[in-house]
Amino acid sequence: MERSRTQPPTSASRAVPLALAACAALAALGTPAAAQRADDERSAEEIFSFMKRRMDKNFDGLISESEWTRSARAFRRADVDRDGVISLSDVEASRAKRRGDARRRGTPAPEPKPATPPAELDAETVEFFESNVRPVLATHCYSCHSESASRIKGGLRVDSLEHLLKGGLGGPALVPGDPEASSLIEVVRYEDPMFAMPPKEKLPDDAIRDLERWVRMGAPWPAEAESPATEGEVVDTASGSEAYGTIDLAEGRQFWSFQPIETQNVPEVERDEWALGDVDRFLLAGMEEAGVAPAKDADDETWLRRVTFDLTGLPPRPSEVADFLEDRSDERYEHVVDRLLASSAYAERFGRHWLDVARYAESSGKASNVVYPHAWRYRDWVIDAFGDDMPFDQFVMKQIAGDLLPADSEEERASNQIATGYLAVGPKSHQARDPRQFRLDLVDEQVDAISQGMLGLTLSCARCHDHKFDPIPTEDYYAFAGILMSTETLYGTQRAAGNNHASGLIDVSGAASLPAGPNMDEATRRFFGRALDRVRPSEPAMDEMNPEEMTPEEMRRKRQQERRRQQQGGLIESLLSRFDDRGRATDANRVAMGVREAEAIDLAVLDRGEIDRPRGVALRGVPQVLEPEPFDIVSGSGRLELAQWIASGDNPLTARVWVNRVWHHMFGVGLVATPDNFGQGGKRPTHPELLDHLAASFVQDGWSTKALVRELALSRAYRLSSKASSRARRADPENATYARMRERRLEAEAVRDAMLVVSGTLEAERPVGSPTNALEGRLQREEVTRYMTRERPVRSVYMPALRGYVTDAMEAFDAPDAAFVTGAREATTSATQALYMMNDSDVLRLSDAFAERLLELDVKEAQRIEAAFVIAFGREPEGGEARAVRSFLKDYERSYEGARPEAEGDKKERRRRNRRRGRLLDPTNEPGVHANGRRAAWSAFAQSLFQSAEFRAIS
Amino acid sequence: MIDGSDMNRRPRPSRRDALRVASSGFGLLALAGMARGARAPLALQDSRGPHLQPRAKRVIFLCMSGAPSHVDTFDHKPELVARNGATLSGVRRGAKLLASPFEFKPRGKSGLMISELFPKLGAHADDMCLLRGMHTDVPVHAQATTMMHTGSFQFVRPSMGAWTLYGLGSENRDLPGFVTINPPTGGGGAQNYGSAFLPATHQGLRIGLARSGRNQRGANAPVDDIANPRQGKELQRKQLDLVKKLNEERAKRSADADEIEAVIESYELAFRMQSELPELLDLSREKKETLEMYGVGQGETDRFGRQCLIARHLAEAGVRFIEVGIGGWDHHRNLREELTQSCRSIDQPIAALLKDLKDRRLLEETLVIWGGEFGRTPYAQGTDGRDHNHLGFTTWMAGGGVKGGLSYGGTDENGIEAVSGRMSIHDWHATILHLMGVDHERLTYPYAGRDFRLTDVHGEVATDILS
Repeated sequence: MERSRTQPPTSASRAVPLALAACAALAALGTPAAAQRADDERSAEEIFSFMKRRMDKNFDGLISESEWTRSARAFRRADVDRDGVISLSDVEASRAKRRGDARRRGTPAPEPKPATPPAELDAETVEFFESNVRPVLATHCYSCHSESASRIKGGLRVDSLEHLLKGGLGGPALVPGDPEASSLIEVVRYEDPMFAMPPKEKLPDDAIRDLERWVRMGAPWPAEAESPATEGEVVDTASGSEAYGTIDLAEGRQFWSFQPIETQNVPEVERDEWALGDVDRFLLAGMEEAGVAPAKDADDETWLRRVTFDLTGLPPRPSEVADFLEDRSDERYEHVVDRLLASSAYAERFGRHWLDVARYAESSGKASNVVYPHAWRYRDWVIDAFGDDMPFDQFVMKQIAGDLLPADSEEERASNQIATGYLAVGPKSHQARDPRQFRLDLVDEQVDAISQGMLGLTLSCARCHDHKFDPIPTEDYYAFAGILMSTETLYGTQRAAGNNHASGLIDVSGAASLPAGPNMDEATRRFFGRALDRVRPSEPAMDEMNPEEMTPEEMRRKRQQERRRQQQGGLIESLLSRFDDRGRATDANRVAMGVREAEAIDLAVLDRGEIDRPRGVALRGVPQVLEPEPFDIVSGSGRLELAQWIASGDNPLTARVWVNRVWHHMFGVGLVATPDNFGQGGKRPTHPELLDHLAASFVQDGWSTKALVRELALSRAYRLSSKASSRARRADPENATYARMRERRLEAEAVRDAMLVVSGTLEAERPVGSPTNALEGRLQREEVTRYMTRERPVRSVYMPALRGYVTDAMEAFDAPDAAFVTGAREATTSATQALYMMNDSDVLRLSDAFAERLLELDVKEAQRIEAAFVIAFGREPEGGEARAVRSFLKDYERSYEGARPEAEGDKKERRRRNRRRGRLLDPTNEPGVHANGRRAAWSAFAQSLFQSAEFRAIS
Repeated sequence: MIDGSDMNRRPRPSRRDALRVASSGFGLLALAGMARGARAPLALQDSRGPHLQPRAKRVIFLCMSGAPSHVDTFDHKPELVARNGATLSGVRRGAKLLASPFEFKPRGKSGLMISELFPKLGAHADDMCLLRGMHTDVPVHAQATTMMHTGSFQFVRPSMGAWTLYGLGSENRDLPGFVTINPPTGGGGAQNYGSAFLPATHQGLRIGLARSGRNQRGANAPVDDIANPRQGKELQRKQLDLVKKLNEERAKRSADADEIEAVIESYELAFRMQSELPELLDLSREKKETLEMYGVGQGETDRFGRQCLIARHLAEAGVRFIEVGIGGWDHHRNLREELTQSCRSIDQPIAALLKDLKDRRLLEETLVIWGGEFGRTPYAQGTDGRDHNHLGFTTWMAGGGVKGGLSYGGTDENGIEAVSGRMSIHDWHATILHLMGVDHERLTYPYAGRDFRLTDVHGEVATDILS
């Protein structure tokens, strides 16, 4: 490591005495019995950990002066029985609770921290240690502070470096290189008689000097000579392959993605006339080098369908196809692209792309799956940002530190605050008991989202150990996490069964232009009204029992029930309070998820990510491999500085990662094929110069995503046919040269939205808010079924996004569950998709609507068939298609008339099956019965277009 | 069967060529190869199996996501008990050994030492072959899970189920040849049952994705939209014929006929599945005793019991590769309690599965495999937990072609690293394929200019475990 990242808390020397004094003080508050027990080390340990849990904000295992003085709230929390004093019973109540938690705890565990191979030390150092240090420790300290001690005092062992660093109850005993900060030195100096060691007699002065010198040397501890397998120690015969090398930052910086973005010279190409722009020249240079010739241009219909889906996620409408075919001007391509970029559909399309990266969802996921009723404000903010072509640097800045940016109006302030919803919408374990663990996990999730999403860096891998592939020491993780630990995340939710972690929200009611939210419909209000009635009056059975006749178990149960009811009632009341008595959302609903500044702290580095294993403190900062200079925090958490650092043209990753994401969406695969990982574990860029060219000009031209999309959409490469000669295919089977276009399967949203457009049922307007807005508390299956899965003809991006409840359509076509940053989705082809397209009620209803639309046309049958192809595929029928359809329609109609639609027995069987599947069928969700054979045939034909391979693909 | 020398002389067909040859009736490629009794088209036969006498016709892979501790389950370490609490020297200096809190007992005639965590499964010791010398490349869940399924943690490669199906085809054309019940969601996701560059028809059908919500659908292993609410079979057939026609038209014009081929096949399969699959997933017609035997309806065994019973249905119906997944084995803390729970949820269902297969004379032709992505450290994490350990762990096999009552390989005396009978994931894959009658070196697929194998350039068959 180049710059010393960890440092002891500045108040370390005072921290120990203060903490122990506090223990004594606490003990004195209690009963005489407690005072007796204070002599007992185990009791002291308990009291201290009791205090730590409340006051140790940065997890370094110590309570600093500032933590002590800022602990008024901690006092109130510690005073479990609220009697104004902390007594032994409070400590015991807390302990009992914690034991219960430990039993129930099932949080995901950290990965192992590899053992660090022993440093090679020179003979002189070894000699010094073996003759001047170890004997002192062994003679004067081991009897109480080593493995061989009958009882290890204060939890401290001094018989290995690891233990000294880990320290005991008073925190780390040693800070290599800094005797003044090492409590080991402090105690042997006998400066404070209360904390002097060894207890009986001060060490000789030269022994103290030797120890000081040794610490100043960096506390070198010879590896093998140190502890020959003594009794009780086992020789580990396994090889050392678990151990990973130490991190060399200077060498790490040589990795391609950590290098500064270089402005590139556009290469000379032989067939320059082929290129329409510099992107093409870079690609053509690669093709020429590989000896691959570019494919022909795609035909007009193919290009239009491709660009319309890529830019808007929707198919081109027949009129748009006609306009393009008729436009013979030189700017016919530009006309299309500019029209698409100006549409709200573009914003929804690229907004959805970002929401994948932002792991956006409206519930917490994990075991208790608590609803986030206000998450949609962030969703809308993202979509608007793309619509307004907000410069990407600002887009990033606002999501990390929008609350800290200056704003000219209440509107702007609210908008900036809503942007920080980015940090709040991640998955969380609300059922977790330990608030400290919850905080750490919350921050970890944020670190993961920011680092992968914005930087293409898997920083979270360094939570428990140094990163195994990238030059990121654990300290860097905690430096980064410290910034978020100094930030309060406001995700809303109330304390209730399954939710031990509530939080507030941001009031954005000052911004009058913001929608208050969706209205709550009458049925929903009645539903919750009834639910409230159910929980409000207590159940008589219990109430009527005489408390004196109840067993303790019954009492406990009763209390618990009562609490549950109250919580449930509270949830519903809080929900209803956001709406007036006519169901209209009120100002109380003008709230947003987001973050705000909290007390700034530097987080302890936690060994193996474990909460009780602090080793030193990491000054807040960013990964050193990217930033050799110390990270300068002017004030506060450092979040603003972090945002500025990420959103900077000098950051080697931000622009590269984003232009690569855009490239991925336009060409089907990124120049770096792993868009969320630009590290060692990721793929290398196929065209590093092109990537840098794009990133550099992106920054230079003001971070405009629309301009970037425009450039790519108008490139020659984007215009190419996906067909290529078999020679070209053999020469470049993977299409690494982009000599042809890639055929791609559409994303789940595009497939569904296309069905809505084609059937003529899409409501293109953005709906106000989200149905989730009318929920509160944990997601229950009944609610989910009732409110969420009900089909609404809005674009998929506006459908509720609940973790763990991806709808059938979305899931079949590989929509992610928002558990992680997802820069590249899967694109499978499966029988599940086929079943959905064949049998799903929604598909059937949309097929009916599409057929209806076709049958309403006042044209001949042949033209009707043509229209169907133009609407669905943006082209007229070719080859034998029309003929096949004509004969299908005839045949199907005849057979339909001949067969009874469905026997009553079948219907029953179907219902039975559906029930068994556990799917609550909404009767209104059932597709209707066809009026006649002609309608049935046209509906079946319409559906067959949905089912076709062409419908779900762009070529 | 084509002999290897012959194979080498013939130029490899490209995937496209192969498809063209195969699709004389377009859309029937995979069908032709997968139909009962039908032979694969000639052009593909050279690399497909069987190359050897198959010992097992199908695989049921019980996948324990999260990495179960070997020293508490199937790898008995008496030394660990003696050394409980001792600290290690060397690279893991300071790590404290943690004896298994669970007792091991000799089980069956073979006397295999199996932990008390498996009272019922232990009764099948004489059918089980413990592979105690397993090791893998990285101690990280995601990578190791992908490694276990595909043989690679860096690249997107076909899963072993897809390879098996590709090599042997399916025994039942009305069902997917590869079904994965409740697959692990993290760690590679769909890659773990994906077909990568193999024709997409070899991808596993996923049933009952494990959900993070409270209502995990895996419990009932449903398949959505398995029946059309208003269209009879005959009419639907007409409709799908039109779809097929449209797709064929498109394939003529398209650059990527493979993908269209896959879509066509997905509809054909879906159409056929509608008849058979609902019955296979329906447990309501099972006898009460059978349900009880699997632990269906009995709290903690209910979910895995259902999955195992469905797996037996699928095996009986001729599905080539069946994977049954269960998560929750990542016991960093609270080992005593949570490992006990985890084991309890699978002990009875697996014991029932083995017995049921045996009673139906299916076990001899079914390879049952149990294992997780790696093992856990014999030293403690905290006071009651174990960390990841990829250097040594245990999986086991039972049934088709493996010696029962055998313990093969082992870890060092602490249980950290595999020292004898070492078996890498590639060796494991090679052995599984071998048991299926497939030579892992001959089962190849030409892609991007070279022939790929499940085992890449590695893999040795553990001949010692073959019966």
